[in-house]
Amino acid sequence: MRKVFFREAIARALREEMECDASVIVLGQDIGRYGGAYKEFAGLFDRFGPARVRDTPVAESSMVGLGVGAAAAGLRPLVAITYMDFLMLGLDALVNYAAKARYKTGGQLRVPMVVKTTAGARGQGVAHSQCIEAWAMSVPGLAVVAPSTPADAYGLLKTSLRHDGPVLFVDHKRLFPVPGNVPLEETSVPFGKANVLRSGNDATVVTHGYMCRVALEAAELLAASGASCEVVDLRSLAPLDVATVAASAARTGVLVTVEEGQSVCGVGTEVAFRVRDEVPALRVARVAAAPAPVSSNPVLEKACLPDALRVAETVRRLLS
Amino acid sequence: MIYQLSVPGPIEDVEELRVLEWHGEAGRQFAKGEMIVELETHKAVVEVRAAQPGVLRRILCPPGEWQTLGRPLAIFSDSADESLPAPDESGAALAVDFEVT
Repeated sequence: MRKVFFREAIARALREEMECDASVIVLGQDIGRYGGAYKEFAGLFDRFGPARVRDTPVAESSMVGLGVGAAAAGLRPLVAITYMDFLMLGLDALVNYAAKARYKTGGQLRVPMVVKTTAGARGQGVAHSQCIEAWAMSVPGLAVVAPSTPADAYGLLKTSLRHDGPVLFVDHKRLFPVPGNVPLEETSVPFGKANVLRSGNDATVVTHGYMCRVALEAAELLAASGASCEVVDLRSLAPLDVATVAASAARTGVLVTVEEGQSVCGVGTEVAFRVRDEVPALRVARVAAAPAPVSSNPVLEKACLPDALRVAETVRRLLS
Repeated sequence: MIYQLSVPGPIEDVEELRVLEWHGEAGRQFAKGEMIVELETHKAVVEVRAAQPGVLRRILCPPGEWQTLGRPLAIFSDSADESLPAPDESGAALAVDFEVT
């Protein structure tokens, strides 16, 4: 293992895949010489040149559309959408074309593309902070993954770049400052496989992305007051690993879902419903953002988002 | 007198960073204002400069190694011939200025 920054795990996955597959290209704003908003594309322009690492205008709709066309024509593009809020501009191409092409053409056309985007709040206000991965989970034909560590960012991006259909790869602004260990040998993380981050017996907390850190903090708080929490990182939202969450919930009898997006039609709502199908006698609660825009005012931003105290209180309420 | 150079802070969002480059080896005398070490965060470089004169005696974190904020990077002393403390014994904090670029 080697400790690296989150951005370095992303750059490594791309570098390795671009070395072994000449059809992998990268499209995005400031991803060329500048190296990307989080430097997660650093070094790729120098190594692979402007034909494969292409700066685009600020035009997300066209960027995703270009990616879909390139993929249908035989390339494997990664389209970088800096903030997830701007993905909305590219949803037509992603949902109506990329996710449907294989079905619509009876398997003649495939769209192996990755849309990589950065979700989450970090002081940037109402239209630069949102987590809308739950919207994408409901699109047949679209895979959705969300790493919480550099190792999973590396492994899931490797799998994404080899996948035969469109993938939405969602990272988070607050994951970038935190380094983590990544295997030295080339490896990958499969889709549809959740990861138990912490074992416990009294309650199951299921989450994804940056909220894994919040859930682990909550588990520490709860451990101090004698409650033992299992924390499950979904890693992959579509396909969803219901079996791993259900096995844990069947043991603990308590399920708390945590996400930074909204709870209405959210990731947690979907997970909770499907787990309750498997485990009927389950106490369930959801923790998510308040039903309000995320302010750039730090006090209001904090008030809106789930934190370890809210997660711990919710678990305690179900346990009492 | 023996001093300890630690990772300065606070630095927004950063808990842990990586040593990029030492500006000198053990034995080098640093004057006030001279750059001692450059540290790398997820998106920036932290330049650490001496805010007092001192002799770099022992580098604890060579380039490429990680260290958390407030934890030691190197041992300094006022003069080059002072005997060094046992490894787990920390000296006074070396005064530094730092800039995130």
